Amino acid sequence: MKNRTTPGAQIAMYAVLIFLAALWLFPIGLAVYKSVQVGGWGNYDAVLTSETFDYWRAIGNSFLMAGSASILIMIVASLAGFAFSKLRFRGRKLLYSLLLGCLAVPIAAVVTPLFFSVNSVGLRDSYLGVIIPLAAFNSLMMLLIMKNHFDSIPDEIIEAASLDGAGLFRTFVRILLPLSGPTLATVGTLSFVYSWNEFLLPNLLLRSAEKFPVTQAISLLEFDRMSLEQISQLYAGLILMTIPSLIVYLVAQRYLQAGVTAGAVKS
Amino acid sequence: MMRRIQPYLFVLPVTLLAGVLIYYAIGFTAWASFTDWNGLTEMNFIGFGNYVELYHDPLFWTALRNTLVFLVATIAIQAALGLLIAVIAKERLRGSSFFKAIFFLPIAMAPAIIATVFKYMLEANYGSINETLRALGVIDQGTVIQWLGADLGVWSIVFINVFQWMGFSMMIYYAALMSIPEELYEAAEIDGAGWWRRLRSITIPSLRGTTSVLIILGIVGALKTFDIVWLTTGGGPGGSTHFLSTLLYEERSNREAGYSSAIGMVILVIAFGLAMVQIKLANREGGKR
Repeated sequence: MKNRTTPGAQIAMYAVLIFLAALWLFPIGLAVYKSVQVGGWGNYDAVLTSETFDYWRAIGNSFLMAGSASILIMIVASLAGFAFSKLRFRGRKLLYSLLLGCLAVPIAAVVTPLFFSVNSVGLRDSYLGVIIPLAAFNSLMMLLIMKNHFDSIPDEIIEAASLDGAGLFRTFVRILLPLSGPTLATVGTLSFVYSWNEFLLPNLLLRSAEKFPVTQAISLLEFDRMSLEQISQLYAGLILMTIPSLIVYLVAQRYLQAGVTAGAVKS
Repeated sequence: MMRRIQPYLFVLPVTLLAGVLIYYAIGFTAWASFTDWNGLTEMNFIGFGNYVELYHDPLFWTALRNTLVFLVATIAIQAALGLLIAVIAKERLRGSSFFKAIFFLPIAMAPAIIATVFKYMLEANYGSINETLRALGVIDQGTVIQWLGADLGVWSIVFINVFQWMGFSMMIYYAALMSIPEELYEAAEIDGAGWWRRLRSITIPSLRGTTSVLIILGIVGALKTFDIVWLTTGGGPGGSTHFLSTLLYEERSNREAGYSSAIGMVILVIAFGLAMVQIKLANREGGKR
């Protein structure tokens, strides 16, 4: 593609980009600076060896909950996405609309029944009690992405397989899943990031600090009347807790971008 | 027989997990909103009592106004900035993918962490933003700007949200821009249309459907917004920066489960209502992407 812009326009465009990028990088740079302002790089060590806050435990908790939720989501969303896209059954359209209608339901609007039901089945303050609603609320967007993906695979593939006498489940596992690698990676990455970033659900359902994921464990670094050194340590802790997200971003940026656009472009 | 029920087995897990849980939660919220439930003891039916109380509660109107201001402001700002950057990025300047990566990065970061960073930066007395402004001489030494106070709090929250999510609008506009046929631009150029003219006559009309999608997602996203409010202003001072979601959460912890459920119903009605209106409007315009 040839470049149609004049040099003057290019300078203006760069000016806009650089100004905005500076605005976006400023908070990040400032956070890094603040984390060493009082107490130096030793703040990072202080956070990692803190007695009130266990960094690796919080990271492990987040990994456990976000990881389990995204595996669960990949399973239920791909199974259902396949059926809604390729199988014909009574009530298919109605059920699909009923499910996708829930996309607009914010967790915040239904915290009372969520708390009550998780509590009454005895799952309050347990990992599973967070994983199930996490998976439930994130699975619908992923169902949409999976169904759109299966829609793009020609029906003939299924017909050919069923002539061979392969069962539906076998067709799904042997023929459709192998064609779905990138989409599954997208769904997995997006579910993982969204689940990792969730704050409301753990805050509602967990009380023991040793089960807190990173989003909730931030509070363990905050105190009343914090000294400047404690504030610097808090910044160090926040940066340390962002590192796993940065790694995911660097490794799976492609899938994250694909997921964000896949969920939005065709709905 | 097996062939008939097999499809249902595929959709059963997601239906049980998400469908049943979420519809149960909606039904429960609807029922509880007509009771005086405190979350622990029995529920007594009190008709529209909670809704009448909501109508007379100034905090509710503040929270509703803040939510709607946030909704309109974030959707408009994120769309405008996102489109601007996407249009520039499409010109394939050197380094534009680097810039895109910067703006997209906050999406991978937890809102809880971003909100906490901003809370300390925006703190009025020793927060970095006021300190920086004082050092640059923009404001006087003794001046204290209450970024998280009653007047500016909502706008600070809008800014934090734009920081977090603008890259989302950018990426979606960028994907849509890349799908506009190149021939359209070439033809326009032969006709002598300048950059601005091409933007107005080709780019923006082609993006109407994308903008609709962003508005729907923005509405849903605004009503879901909780952590960046809860972790910065916490709804304060004096409830002035509450959103519907944070007011609900606070009432729930004050043992007002019935009352908070009524707020939940208001959120659900707005979510479905606005989404429907937007879908209707988009369809009437031809539903073009």
